[in-house]
Amino acid sequence: MIQYIIRRLIHTVFVVLAISLIVFFSIRLTGDPVAIMFQAGEPTKEAIEEVRENLGLNEPLIVQYGIFMKQLITFDLGESFRSGLPVSTMIAERMGPTVLLALGGILVAILIAFPVGILSAVKRGTAVDFFGRIFSLLGISFPNFWLGIMLIIVFAVQLQWFPASGYDGWKSLVLPSIALGMILSGILARLVRSSMLEILNQQYISTAKSKGIKDWVVIIRHAFRNALIPTTTFLGIQFGSLLGGTVIIEQVFSWPGVGRMIIDAINQRDYPVIQGGVIVLAMLMILVNLIVDLSYSFLDPRIKVGGSDK
Amino acid sequence: MEEPILKVENLEVGVKKDTGFMNIVNNISFFLKKGETLGIVGESGCGKSMTSLSIMDLTPASVSLKSGKILLKDKDLTAMRKNERRKVRGKEIAMIFQEPMTSLNPVYTIGYQIVEMIRNHQNMTKKQAYQHALNMLQLVGIPRADEILHEYPHQLSGGMRQRVMIAMVLSCSPEILIADEPTTALDVTIQAQILELMKSLQEEMNMSIILITHDLGVVAEMCDRVVVMYAGEIVEESEVHELFENPKHPYTKGLLESLPDVDEDREYLSSIKGTVPSPSEMPEGCRFAPRCAFASEKCQEDPPVFRVNQKSSCKCWLFEDSTAE
Ligand SMILES: Nc1ncnc2c1ncn2[C@@H]1O[C@H](COP(=O)(O)OP(=O)(O)OP(=O)(O)O)[C@@H](O)[C@H]1O
Ligand SMILES: [Mg+2]
Repeated sequence: MIQYIIRRLIHTVFVVLAISLIVFFSIRLTGDPVAIMFQAGEPTKEAIEEVRENLGLNEPLIVQYGIFMKQLITFDLGESFRSGLPVSTMIAERMGPTVLLALGGILVAILIAFPVGILSAVKRGTAVDFFGRIFSLLGISFPNFWLGIMLIIVFAVQLQWFPASGYDGWKSLVLPSIALGMILSGILARLVRSSMLEILNQQYISTAKSKGIKDWVVIIRHAFRNALIPTTTFLGIQFGSLLGGTVIIEQVFSWPGVGRMIIDAINQRDYPVIQGGVIVLAMLMILVNLIVDLSYSFLDPRIKVGGSDK
Repeated sequence: MEEPILKVENLEVGVKKDTGFMNIVNNISFFLKKGETLGIVGESGCGKSMTSLSIMDLTPASVSLKSGKILLKDKDLTAMRKNERRKVRGKEIAMIFQEPMTSLNPVYTIGYQIVEMIRNHQNMTKKQAYQHALNMLQLVGIPRADEILHEYPHQLSGGMRQRVMIAMVLSCSPEILIADEPTTALDVTIQAQILELMKSLQEEMNMSIILITHDLGVVAEMCDRVVVMYAGEIVEESEVHELFENPKHPYTKGLLESLPDVDEDREYLSSIKGTVPSPSEMPEGCRFAPRCAFASEKCQEDPPVFRVNQKSSCKCWLFEDSTAE
């Protein structure tokens, strides 16, 4: 087990290395940060040169990358071109809201998809199944920013049940979580339905019924418990696109998270903030996948993660 | 004579289609006495499993009971509400299946699954239930039972899993055990052990068994009486010796002839020509007639069941001289 985690950590180092390379060079193709800083006035050539020198942008690219990597090894993500604040401090402030939003999205997806998927499978071919499948289709078909705007119009502007934007108490989390979780809930409900259908045909379900236990116990304890195995894998894989979704949702709901910080930083060509933000999100993604992999040995006794050593 | 513990009367089971009701099991009646083993034999697809699943109320969603009675002592199971019917399962009638490899839930320990069964029907604390589960595992001859209790199904062989199934379904001392080809998936030596085990437990617990099988060898070994099914109907019902020594129905004769004979050194096995008709294209009259060597004009008409002698009855015009039942 320990060995397995160590192997995964080494793996992580390589992934981060690759991502740092891609981010570092690709953002430098997008334009000059200094030109954007001086958009308003008419700066002198000297002023521009001075800023470039201070930010270290006059060094050759390779040297810049070297400096960036050297800092990264000591977990120093540099300072923002704009505010001069340490990037790590900026991320630390915004990580909480992003993780909260992601968890909110997953919670919404699970709360909707599990009952819908289970009912669809159990009541296969009936009206319940029909509406369940329509729902999945709708969930998948609406883009999340559109859904976000609709939710704001109906529940924030018209009904005034929830705030339209900002980060202030659990009420402000509701609409963005729904907007984020809806697509996932549509896909997840389909997966739960098809897994349940397959499992309900298994022999051990007949065995469970033949024991005379209640129907819903058979469905939840025996069938759904097994459906959790593919479902968890799927959620682990989907976590990446969920994080991608937070970038958009944070924008729509003015949510002070890492995604919105990255968008702002891209607009301002604030290189260190972009680099730091992307790398931290990637590491979050890797961490989640590690947790999912480790959870298998709890979900499925047939699987022993990382071989036999305990 | 002692009243039978289970009586199936005019059972019809089938699938609802747009064109009408398609019978899978067609008007069958049989009974089971206390402590006896009744064999149900017949080719694949003749409705053996559907019959037993109907008794358990476990038929697939598309398959339903059209008419008939299933009498457990004097209670009609078909008239019961779903919830009462559920309580009969496992408590009074238990069932084991053909596939021991997939019959147990892979994510729960053996102990958990047996205890779930016990606590569902009996008022026991967890601790008492685990103790009872342990006793059951020892009863069915599982070595290191106290460890197996905490192991998962995938850690056991097929034979061991079938023993666990038997331990589980017998944990609430059911009066009737339905075993649908319990040994088909196991290799020969294990088969014999499992059958031996079932027989000894039957005596110990004074239990009745319905044993579904393809294997006439198993029938000879295990059964007191036999019901022969063909295309959803019972064509012959007979005591076991009578069946082997003096089979009545041409189909039964065919089945017996297809057994490999150790004495005669035959080159090939004679078998019944043709195949079982599918439920959607049943022939008029006697369903076996198209494959029968003795078929005549008369067979255009559906034969009733004739009681041939005390030991057997048969659904064939050849026995017209006997009294119809
Ligand atoms: N879910 C189902 N829906 C409709 N028809 C079914 C279904 N399952 C089985 N049947 C039909 O019911 C008939 C009887 O099947 P059954 O399983 O009882 O046969 P069997 O005698 O147990 O055969 P085997 O020896 O192969 O187990 C078959 O003709 C089959 O086509
Ligand atoms: Mg069968």
